[in-house]
Parts: sequence; C-alpha cells; structure tokens
Amino acid sequence: MDVLKTSPQVHETLVSDRREPIPGTVVIGLVAPALAANARPGQFVMAVTPSGERVATALGIYEAEGERISLMLTIVGPRTREIGLLARGDRLTLVGPLGNGFDLHALGKNVALVAGGVGIASLLLAAARLVEAGASVHLYYGARTAEALVDDELFEALGAGVSLATDDGSRGHHGFVTELLEREGRAHAAIAACGPSPMLRAVGAVGRAQGLRAQLSLEETFACGVGACWGCVVPLSRASEQAPKFPPPAPGEKRDYVHARICREGPVFWSDQLRW
Amino acid sequence: MVTRAAEPDISVRLGKLELAAPTLMGSGCYGSGEEYAALVDLSKIGGVVLKSVTRLPRLGNDAPRLVPVASGLLNAIGLQNPGIESYLANDVAKFGDRPCAIVGSVAGFSVDDYAYVTERLAAREEIDAIELNISCPNVGSEGETFACDPDLAERATRAARGATDKTLIVKLSPNVTDIAQIARVVEAAGADALAVINTVRGMSIDVERCAPRLGNVTGGLSGAAIRPIAVLAVWEVARAVHIPILGQGGIETARDALEFILAGAAAVSIGTGNFTDPRAPLAVAAGLRAYLAQHGIARLATIVGKANPGFLGTGER
Repeated sequence: MDVLKTSPQVHETLVSDRREPIPGTVVIGLVAPALAANARPGQFVMAVTPSGERVATALGIYEAEGERISLMLTIVGPRTREIGLLARGDRLTLVGPLGNGFDLHALGKNVALVAGGVGIASLLLAAARLVEAGASVHLYYGARTAEALVDDELFEALGAGVSLATDDGSRGHHGFVTELLEREGRAHAAIAACGPSPMLRAVGAVGRAQGLRAQLSLEETFACGVGACWGCVVPLSRASEQAPKFPPPAPGEKRDYVHARICREGPVFWSDQLRW
Repeated sequence: MVTRAAEPDISVRLGKLELAAPTLMGSGCYGSGEEYAALVDLSKIGGVVLKSVTRLPRLGNDAPRLVPVASGLLNAIGLQNPGIESYLANDVAKFGDRPCAIVGSVAGFSVDDYAYVTERLAAREEIDAIELNISCPNVGSEGETFACDPDLAERATRAARGATDKTLIVKLSPNVTDIAQIARVVEAAGADALAVINTVRGMSIDVERCAPRLGNVTGGLSGAAIRPIAVLAVWEVARAVHIPILGQGGIETARDALEFILAGAAAVSIGTGNFTDPRAPLAVAAGLRAYLAQHGIARLATIVGKANPGFLGTGER
C-alpha cells in the first residue's frame, strides 16, 4: 500500500449544488479548490456543521474535479440532516483530505469494484481515476432494494461495466453482491471494495478463494479523524507495511497483531493484512 | 494619539509551568500534537498533555472503542501505548519541536510503575511537566483504583513527587464518593496541581445485538454531557486545596471554560471539544480575552474562583 503523508487543512467551502438521487441520500457539491486538487480516491473529510457540531463519521470524497468536490451522505440523525439540507450558497467547514486512499497503481489494469449500500460513495472517484489510467473497471454493486441503488449510471458513463444485486431481487441479481463476485471475480486482477463490515469480510474471503488481493475501505465511528485519539482501530498484521511501529508484545499479551487507526493508516487496508 | 488598551492577560502558572494561554489539550485527545499541527497554530494553544505512557507496551482494548452518545462520547481505548522504553527511544525527541508546553502523562498499575515511568520521562528536557494519570477508567479495576483509594492516591503521588522536580499534575477521577478528600491527600503528598476530572464511567448497549457496544464493555464518558459534573467537582476541590486546578470536562467554548475558572480552575483542558472543531482552543482563548476586555478585567488570574465563596486559592492572585 502506498502510504501517504497527509497534510490536512481546515477548508471553508461553499455549497455549489445539491441533489438527492434517492430519498434520504444526498450529494452535496462544494467549491473547495484545495481539496479538489489534492484529494485521492478513498480519502475522506470530517465536517463541522454550521451549528458547530461535528459529524462522527467520515464523509468520503465522492467526486473531485476542477474546483469542485462532492460528498455523498445518508441522513441518519440531526448532524447529517444539517449537512444534507444545505443549499447552494451555504457554507460548510471541512477538515481534510484525511486518511490514505486506494492504491490505484497496485490495483493494476483490471479491477473489480465492490460496493455495498452507501459504500458506493468511496468508489466513484476511484473508478474515474482508474479509467483515466487506462484500467478496465467493473462495478459490482449491492443494496437492499432497487430504490436504494444510487448513481450506478455514473459508473456506466465512465465506461465501467456494472452488475447489480439487491436483497429483494427488485433489480439485478437476487441476493448478495458477493455472490456476483464469486461468479465473475476470476475475470479480474484485483478488488477494491467499500461497504458494511460483513460485506467486506465476505469480499476478502471471495478474493482469497480466487487468488485476488482486495483493498477494503473500512467504515467506522471516528472521534478526531486525524489519528490523535486511537478510537477507530482495526487489528492489523505486524508485517503489514501500514502497521504503526509498535514494540514486541509485553509478557502475557496473547494478541500478535497491532492496532492500526482506520482514519490514519487506513481507511483502506489490504484484506489479507487485516486480523479482524 | 489613540492608545490601544492593553490586551487582557490570559497567561497562567501551574506550579513551575508557565502557559501563554490557559488551555491544555487533554491527554489521549491530542496525540502528540503533531496530528493537529497542520490544522491549528500550536503556539497559540497553551500546551499539549501527551497520551499516557506506561512501563510496558499496551496494545489497548479491542474495538469498538468509541460510541457517540447524546451530547458526548463514550470511549474505551485502554491506554494503548508503546511502553516507556520505546517511547523514550522513538517518540520523545519529536516533542522538542513543539511550539507549546508539553506535558508528559504517566499511567501505571503499581506505585513503583508511577515512580519509574515518571523518573524516566521527566528526565527528558522535551518534557515540561508531568501529569499523573491515576484515573483511567478503561483498564479493568486496576487503572482507576489509585484515584479511588486515598491511600493509593497518596502513595502514587508521593512516589512520582520523589521522582521529579518538574511540575506534577495529578488527574483525579469523578467516580468517587468524595473527590475533595482525595484532592487533599494528593496535595499533601506533593502534587503541584490537580486535573479535575477524568472521564465519568458509563456504558451503552446495542438493543438489536443485546450486547454492550464497547469492546471493553464499559467506558469513560466525555463531552458536554459531563460538564456540570466536572464544574461541581472543580467547585468542591477548589474549597479543599490551595494548589491550582486544571478544569476539564466538556469544554468547547470560552463560556464553558469560564464556568470552570469561576468555580476555581486556574486553567482548563480541552479534549473532546477538539473533535467537534479543531479550532476550539483558539476560539476559547479569543473568547476569554473578549470576556475580560468586556468586563474591564486586566488579568484572567483575578477571576479564578470568583463564583465560589469557599475558594481557597493559591495566594498568587
């Protein structure tokens, strides 16, 4: 994994556009030149809402082009509501870019993207940059229902192949997205995935069975978002190049891994390095 | 000729530690300072209390370690740290570059741990003062025992006192029957200042999984939710001791900080407030100056304990 030295900043941004592709899920466009220029696929921001509250989840950078970035978020509580209801001309304070994104180079030229639910938010920019770099990209995208699938046509417009799955069979494959990956994964050279933890574990298992390495973008509750509080950790192999330096275990310590910060060493990890 | 009124003085002293601004960043919330250096001008924040270090490496608690709750944050990190040897070899030199006060934080599981780690850490010139964390609620019963038992609190403090001449701040737990009693004992044992308070024990349960949410089961609650608990603790401790108090617990704004100062805190710590907005310490310092200017007060030190009739004070006003 190509480990970045991130240099986050506080950005005062201006809302340029807003759309609600499905009820409750919003894409907020923002004028944020420095973020747009520097953000890498899979990186995220933390937001300070206009009322002074901070959203405790990372907001993945959905699009970044010119002076504009966009964020996709699902309204789940008062803080995400506050951001989700922002309109053109409103201001939003962001801290970022944070974390290390996907290592696109290591993914190679034939990539399976796997998204579960709003995990799609971390993959659009990766798809765009991969296509730019001449890679062949196929999106495997699962959600509960047809109504919960967001923006799959944007991936098609980039030239990516798209296979869909829904839990209720209302669109695409009736079942889990990982079942599609089991069927088609061998056509690809590597996997990049974002979604809920159970899906990511399953993606890792399918990849292992098929001999494909997978980069997984983890979702977690964050407090600081900048690596200071060690609240958002995941067990990681000591051998991982992303593993924070840590001395040998103290006597009596049975755990042979280290804790890596999802916000700092992550949020993207090689599946075969995780010890979760 | 127009002369500009002198800017109110918000500098403070905690023992030998002189702070240009009366704000320290709470231990465990600010890493080594480096994590926030790109976001905040560290020369304006007073100082950083580093993450606690123990004698041996600690991997910390299993995830999940955080649960956001109403008006606060429940955490159970479990004192993850590389242990004092690795810390001295790899981390401490970096703190020499910080343009603010650097307070080392020492945690332990025995009186001897506190003496040993304090001596090793305080010997480094990069470290300006020591905070003794005798009140971590997230390492089983052992971590907080020292803050909850007057005899152990006294012994840990005396051991650390014997290990350094640098300013010694002892961090007290709110999870006790009588915090003033512990404060008196710790003062008598040689502490230069008291940090009041550490987190309040709490837990949260996932009703779908029918299980506690934290990997450690129990955690420590911080944030606005505990502010009134912390203000009361400062109030009570300020009536019991003559050494300066570092007030902390849910401080996000200058008005929050003023509550602590008026209750008797000479300075304040900001922890979880940095997670809400990394610029919080700058806003607190600016807000304190504005308050003093508005009320025609030249020095912050003169209003410490002003709301508390039983405030004993340090005699340094």
